[in-house]
Amino acid sequence: VSVAAAPGASVQASPPRGGLIGALAGTDHKSLGARIVVVAFAFFLAGGVLAALIRTELLTPQLDVVSRQLYNALFTIHGSTMFYLFIVPMAVGVGVYLVPLQIGATGMAWGRLGLAGFWLVLAAGVTMWSGFLTQGGAAAVGWYGFYPLSDVPNSPGIGTDLWILAILMAGLAAIALAASLLATVVQRRAPGMTMLRLPPFTWTIIVTCLMIVTAFPALIVAMTLLFIQRQFGGPYDGSAGPITYQQLFWFFGHPVVYVGFFPFLGAAAEAVTTFSGKRWFGHKPFVFALLVFAAGSMSVWAHHMFTTGAVNNRYFAFTSTLLLVPAGVEYFDAAATMHGGRIRLTASMLFALGFFFTFLIGGVTGVWVASPPLDYQATDSYFIVAHFHYTLFGGGVLGLFAGIYLWFPKVTGALLREGLGKVHFWLTMVGVNLAFFPMFFLGQDGMPRRYPEYTGHPRWQTLNDLSSAGAYVLALSLLVFIANVGVSLLVRRPAGPDPWGGQTLEWMTDSPPPPHNFDMLPPIRSHAPLLDRRRRPEGAA
Amino acid sequence: MSLAAVVDTRSEFAGLSTTYLLIAIGVVALVWLALAAIVVRWRARPGEHRAPVGRTSNAPLEVGYVVVLTCVAALLVTLTFRTESKVDAVSSHPALRVHVIAAKWRWRFEYPGGVVQDGANDRPSTLVVPTRETVGFALDALDVIHAFWIPDLRFKRDAIPGRTNRFDLDFPRAGYFPGAGVCSEFCGLLHSQMRFNVRALPPAAFRAWLRRRQGRT
Repeated sequence: VSVAAAPGASVQASPPRGGLIGALAGTDHKSLGARIVVVAFAFFLAGGVLAALIRTELLTPQLDVVSRQLYNALFTIHGSTMFYLFIVPMAVGVGVYLVPLQIGATGMAWGRLGLAGFWLVLAAGVTMWSGFLTQGGAAAVGWYGFYPLSDVPNSPGIGTDLWILAILMAGLAAIALAASLLATVVQRRAPGMTMLRLPPFTWTIIVTCLMIVTAFPALIVAMTLLFIQRQFGGPYDGSAGPITYQQLFWFFGHPVVYVGFFPFLGAAAEAVTTFSGKRWFGHKPFVFALLVFAAGSMSVWAHHMFTTGAVNNRYFAFTSTLLLVPAGVEYFDAAATMHGGRIRLTASMLFALGFFFTFLIGGVTGVWVASPPLDYQATDSYFIVAHFHYTLFGGGVLGLFAGIYLWFPKVTGALLREGLGKVHFWLTMVGVNLAFFPMFFLGQDGMPRRYPEYTGHPRWQTLNDLSSAGAYVLALSLLVFIANVGVSLLVRRPAGPDPWGGQTLEWMTDSPPPPHNFDMLPPIRSHAPLLDRRRRPEGAA
Repeated sequence: MSLAAVVDTRSEFAGLSTTYLLIAIGVVALVWLALAAIVVRWRARPGEHRAPVGRTSNAPLEVGYVVVLTCVAALLVTLTFRTESKVDAVSSHPALRVHVIAAKWRWRFEYPGGVVQDGANDRPSTLVVPTRETVGFALDALDVIHAFWIPDLRFKRDAIPGRTNRFDLDFPRAGYFPGAGVCSEFCGLLHSQMRFNVRALPPAAFRAWLRRRQGRT
């Protein structure tokens, strides 16, 4: 077996700082990535607590748990936390940890910029949530903060200003981390690791980062102008203001949904390849489909504005519906990868399968709401709430857990408990469908989103109670997961370098990897170099 | 007088959504069954040692599959456009014009001849309309963005400050429908209280109502 020394391995890397300074200021991509993931997960739990409060208020048609103002703040900070502080940082954080390993690099490019991103995420979270401590409470304008509801006369509290500043910081953080990741992929690939030999997960991170650096500047502009508007007036004055804000916001707001989806599609894809024992099927068409998907996602934003009467509905219906083509290619590749494989139903693989099964509901309802006449009924109702939770929880979060069960042993050196993982999986599947499926019927029956009460429609109570029960099951599933992490770290079952029979370079090195990542690298002739090494014939010289 | 063809948004929605729903159910069933069959067929059994088999790419098959997907997309877009052009058509000669003004947190309806239907925060206003005739709406907002939604008609349009949105609706059924209209764009504290009633009268009864109200003002 021929091996090449990892590039840069001969250069003595300065030993990583431990302790508090290391935890706060270290730029090693593994420590940085792990810190981002832990912080993002903490925000996921915090946003989940708000969701539980919302679902508790909706148990009865009356207003009986929180005040209207607090309810409005709850769903605003729930949505904002889940997007800006959880799913986007989580997407790039997982990339920061894994991409240098998958491409055979000793570290990430622009580590200090990445570190700044980590700090900005933390600062954004503290800033946004400190709104709850201010007089008037946290922002209560919805996660997209439409102007003019978000101006000073309509939302005078300082909580809204803190919310804007938090989004600016979170947006800059995402751009900083995405730029670092793109630079890493461009500059730091190991010899032989061509772009088309990058594994599926790294490719999903590349398209994610491309979308971030293209779309997030529009968010920065929208929020900066909103801040100026609130302090001094001006930018959004006049009759064009409300639509201008929406154009800027949704130019960011649609791609961000895919930012919260692609990396977890990548994680599910890696689980599917690993636990089928086959390389990812149709790698080149898959990469091409991803690029088409990402490019297409930049020209569908105004399907969020079908009912404004201010956009060309037909154009955006056309582009949005076409996205089913690249999405369909990804499903085909996943199914074809499993076909003929030797499928091991580990917790990671179960979550990956759960991802493909559950996301499909989000996908077909996405095609549904891409049709203006159908969207006129669905938008701003519980139908749309059901749809995007199926994409972001049924897709994003299930894929995230497929990745966590797959890579936790690599990061910590300890295996997670499979039994608890399967309990976690089944509770999650029950919870997701119980929580979000009834919402389709509520929306179709006329229940608007962002209602703290529904006294005029007592018939909606049964469906709402089912949904709330699902939310509590999800809370229970997360407790099982946290218990699993605790048990697995306290009573460790050592993972070794490659517990699953992995195919990509991160499984070549110790768990956790040493500071310089690799002592040696195998020859890289495909997107599954370790599989090549085990199998020999294909691609061997 | 040439009246525009009356477009029933509810039945238009029913037609399009039935097609979409059948295709969606078919796709979901097909994909779920395929995935489940693959997992069952190729699952690793305890004590079994076999090497994975099968191709790692199949360009002709994937291209053919993409063509099928594109045809499905083209079909959906065509159906959507056909329905959309009916639902979004605005007649130049509606049987009645109603000016709707949305403001926190109530609806105001203005009719020809200075007739106004207004409400208060705790007393929703009532939209009175004739049945089976095209009613042309002009929609304005005074403060923040609201949205005019009558779930039974499967139709919604945003009310945006500084911008007038126009649309036509048909009310097929006569009757009084309390709370049939709601605001669906989040508009602040009393968003969930911002609703209106709909009273749909047969055309003759509606004209009589309008004349009576015009006489009173």
